[in-house]
Amino acid sequence: MTASRPGRIWGLVAGQAASRGGRVSAADVCAAAVAAVGVTGAWLNAASGAEAGHLMWVTDQVSEQLAELQLTLGEGPGPDAAATAGPVLASDLSELETTSRWPAFAPAAREAGAAAIFAFPLRIGAIRAGVMGLYRDRSGPLSAFHLGDALIFADTATLLLLDSHDPAAADPAAGPGPGCQPAALTLHRAEIDQATGMLTEQLGTGIADAFVRLRAYAYANDLRLTDVARDIVARRLRLSPDLDPSRDGEA
Amino acid sequence: MDRQLLSETFVELTDTMVAGFDVIDFLHVLTDRSVQLLGASAAGLLLADPRGELRVVAASSEAARLLELFQIQNDQGPCLDCFRAGQPVSAADLGAAAQRWPRFAPAAQQAGFAAMQALPMRLREQVIGALNLFRADPGPFAPADIQVGQALADVATISLLHERSMRRSDTLNEQLQTALNSRVIIEQAKGKLAERLGLDMDLAFGLLRDYARARNRRLSDLAQAFIDGSETIAGPTASRQQQLPLGAGQVHRQSRSG
Repeated sequence: MTASRPGRIWGLVAGQAASRGGRVSAADVCAAAVAAVGVTGAWLNAASGAEAGHLMWVTDQVSEQLAELQLTLGEGPGPDAAATAGPVLASDLSELETTSRWPAFAPAAREAGAAAIFAFPLRIGAIRAGVMGLYRDRSGPLSAFHLGDALIFADTATLLLLDSHDPAAADPAAGPGPGCQPAALTLHRAEIDQATGMLTEQLGTGIADAFVRLRAYAYANDLRLTDVARDIVARRLRLSPDLDPSRDGEA
Repeated sequence: MDRQLLSETFVELTDTMVAGFDVIDFLHVLTDRSVQLLGASAAGLLLADPRGELRVVAASSEAARLLELFQIQNDQGPCLDCFRAGQPVSAADLGAAAQRWPRFAPAAQQAGFAAMQALPMRLREQVIGALNLFRADPGPFAPADIQVGQALADVATISLLHERSMRRSDTLNEQLQTALNSRVIIEQAKGKLAERLGLDMDLAFGLLRDYARARNRRLSDLAQAFIDGSETIAGPTASRQQQLPLGAGQVHRQSRSG
């Protein structure tokens, strides 16, 4: 039951990629999200840390303006989402609460054509990949259903961005790559997060790389991510700072 | 029920619900107090993520066996039933509940629990999660305990809104996602610290929590800083391992489950 929702979202994203004849990327997430959750446009900022990052994708001119405005003014739903690690849902840019929160951005955004903005941090705990922003030319909140979908689109974009940093995933000869396995994060498990943390020590890497390595190991050895994580937490499995993920695992 | 502790608890909880307070730490204190007040052996607070999956955000113990009992309940269990119905769900004897929850009931018994109570966390029409209480002895929770338990679940729900406007369900959803992500940061930090110092996850969590409180920082902020490398956490010293005296925000653990 719970597995079908991420599957549906992935189908929409993959459909976008297929319709333009390319490999699935975060750009397809933006396009699919706009079509699915009743908004007008989307932008995506990629950032691997606390810095502002760079604009990676926009679906229309207004999205581009909104993204640029937030960067220039240093305020807005996007920067707030990045800072608080939670979504920022501004369903009416003309509301007092909103104009006091972003006194420079809110009127400029409305002038550009936005009436509501929903910004989603692209994060897995401490792992930062950027921010995805959605705007609508009419005010009003996202329905509960659309909000749920938007959050899953955001999770999908996060994984795709992380995989795009993984050299193995970028190599066409290496096959589809972990990013094409949407089932990888269907069910959340604390062990996956704990194992990711443990790997930062075992591999001497940052948290994003630790996560990429964890998924790469599971994929290369045709194992479920939760099983690998469980083995690492139980200390039955250690990964070593080795270049070839399929050679990891000498406990 | 200890009436003194009851009134002190509500004063303590509402006192801390001011701007800038640490939601995650607050929810941990709340689950600890639930155990003390309601005659429970263990408690956990679960929130639903956008997939409808129930995820632990705070528990009275970080012991893996307990956390696993909450995670199992994504397929079946009292928490899931409670969340879906938006109504309390109880089992006075888990030994007789195997047909009701074929996977969960035996697992809970193996972990040493004989009875449980789940209370919904809801704000108007929206059910956002559940407070789950376990007990080692069979038998139902007393009506007075259930009433107080529901009040604590309601306080937990409201704490997610804290100083922000309560009108908008948007605010609740924003805070919900932030809390869920904060939990992930803390799990990642637990793993990193446990591996670095050779500790089990329960001890690693305790160390993070002590460190955050001693430096007056939010638990999730500290966990993030630790992961980013801007904060160093030293191993437990002999003096820190002594039981701290009871006081605001401190909790006396009467027993550690396995």
